[in-house]
Amino acid sequence: MTIATEVAATPHLRSLGIPLPVVLVAIPVGFIVLGLVIRYLAYAAAVPDDSLGGFADGLCRWDCPWYVHIAERGYDPYPIPKMLGAGNWAFFPLMPMLVGVAHTLVPQPTVWVATVLSLALSTLTALIAWPLLERNLRAYTLFSAYLLAGPFSIYFTTIYTEVLFILLSTATILMLERRNYVGAGVFAGLLSATRIVGVVMAFAMLVQAFVDHRTAGRPLASFVPAVLKRPDIVLGLFLAPLGLALYIVFLQHWVGDGLAFLHVQRAWARAYGNPVVFVWDALTTWPTGSIVPTAPQQLAAAVLVGFGLSGLLAWRRQWAAASFVVICMIIPLFAGMASTLRFTAALAPLAILACLLLGRNRVVFGLSLVVFLVADYFVTVNWIGGALSLV
Amino acid sequence: MSDPAQLSPSGKTALYGAAALVAAFELYAAWLGLHPSVTDSYRAYFIDQTTTCLDQPSAGAYQFGRLVSFRSGDEKASKPLRVCGWEGPVGDGLHAVGESSRLRFALPADASGLTLMLEMVAVDFAPNGIQQVSVVVNGRTLDTLIVRKGTPQRFTLAVPDTALGTDHQLDVELRYPLAIRVDPQDSNTRKRSIKLTAGQVTGIA
Repeated sequence: MTIATEVAATPHLRSLGIPLPVVLVAIPVGFIVLGLVIRYLAYAAAVPDDSLGGFADGLCRWDCPWYVHIAERGYDPYPIPKMLGAGNWAFFPLMPMLVGVAHTLVPQPTVWVATVLSLALSTLTALIAWPLLERNLRAYTLFSAYLLAGPFSIYFTTIYTEVLFILLSTATILMLERRNYVGAGVFAGLLSATRIVGVVMAFAMLVQAFVDHRTAGRPLASFVPAVLKRPDIVLGLFLAPLGLALYIVFLQHWVGDGLAFLHVQRAWARAYGNPVVFVWDALTTWPTGSIVPTAPQQLAAAVLVGFGLSGLLAWRRQWAAASFVVICMIIPLFAGMASTLRFTAALAPLAILACLLLGRNRVVFGLSLVVFLVADYFVTVNWIGGALSLV
Repeated sequence: MSDPAQLSPSGKTALYGAAALVAAFELYAAWLGLHPSVTDSYRAYFIDQTTTCLDQPSAGAYQFGRLVSFRSGDEKASKPLRVCGWEGPVGDGLHAVGESSRLRFALPADASGLTLMLEMVAVDFAPNGIQQVSVVVNGRTLDTLIVRKGTPQRFTLAVPDTALGTDHQLDVELRYPLAIRVDPQDSNTRKRSIKLTAGQVTGIA
């Protein structure tokens, strides 16, 4: 469908005479402004000596200073300066590299540069998600709000790696929808330089190829030979882990340990165990003297909602997206519940599906939008207040 | 690319060639990842996980004979002595974390007849109210101490001159065989045992 026919198919836009591209840009831009206002109000309410200049710094919490450090000064050597036990090698390079380049071009405070860059990346995510949102304007509006003024906008509008992760995973899935395996491989390669679980996209690509193979009525036994006869799929699959491979080579050169990003987890005191036990323990960590769910319960709820939405993806036969999401959720769970809300919030297929479902009905859409905007305020207040479930 | 059947034979060859190059590079990266080139202390802490204390090359700057408090307030003197396995300091001292901790004292070149004094207390939740602490100096075990909870206790240990190395450093390792996991899911790097409140090295220089 061309943009012209899409405009024609959208009566209210046609009657207003506004070209669709203008609308598609205006919506996220509007949420950029709205989100900044909401988060500033939250910041002003949470911080006694608030100032516009301190706004971006005020939102820079938890992992944010680590990313700022990498963007400004690069990776730690070994021995680690200041004798810290933890080097910053666990943080994958693509996002801080982009911020570092932007900071070189625009010599302003890094946190501000990162904020502007993240807002631009979030906007780009919304724009490229338009086809995946079934060209539904309500779903598109919700997705834009989710990124720029929603409950988890703090992750997509500061220097967290989640903004790049959701952009690149959206781009990869879009390429897969179009069966462009080389394009998918390129974006997946960038994804694997963004977060370690980005490498999972290689498996999702293989799943897509398998589904296509079976849908075409070809036998199971001929799958591997059929893939090997497709140089585009072969190249795409090998491109997907390339970002990770480059990072391994860099770390080997830099600290002598290509797997330092894994080994350094020891310094974060990660204890590995059974994901089911971790989720159950979190779910049954009841509050004392309060009805507000505990931080572990909030994290467990995020995981359960994520798995529920993954089931819906599978039911809709979006096998590649479903497999990507499920593996991306399970891998971090082996190291406990830490950050699972953030990880779940940045899974593009889940956010897109949720916005599609909520955008189906006009009333539900309106209510969801209000909830998103109100939640942005309260989540930001809690973020500044140090709520552990948001880490 | 959506219709690979339209690719020319040379186009297909180019894609296969690119895939082979990328695959070769990834194999090289995997080989590198499996063959780290690191120091013994890095390997012990991060890779083999045979210690919970990352022994880094701290200089151990120390004013010989000075009694250093490891409670909050004397960080200028205490910080250079800390190598690893410590958290804090807070009001009740420097908390040991993990199964061992290290301190390092740089001594005068002619120092001899040394005595090491450590003031410690076991954590309140220590089983039977005690913790064992093996004191190892420059690789030589000096003693195994029983540290009780409650009031900090002082322990004085003679350091043989033969234990001193040519680098004139006193590398003190405290090992905690009875260290406790506060939560069963805690990593062994988070085990708790004692709090160090003061330390001193005296002798002839």
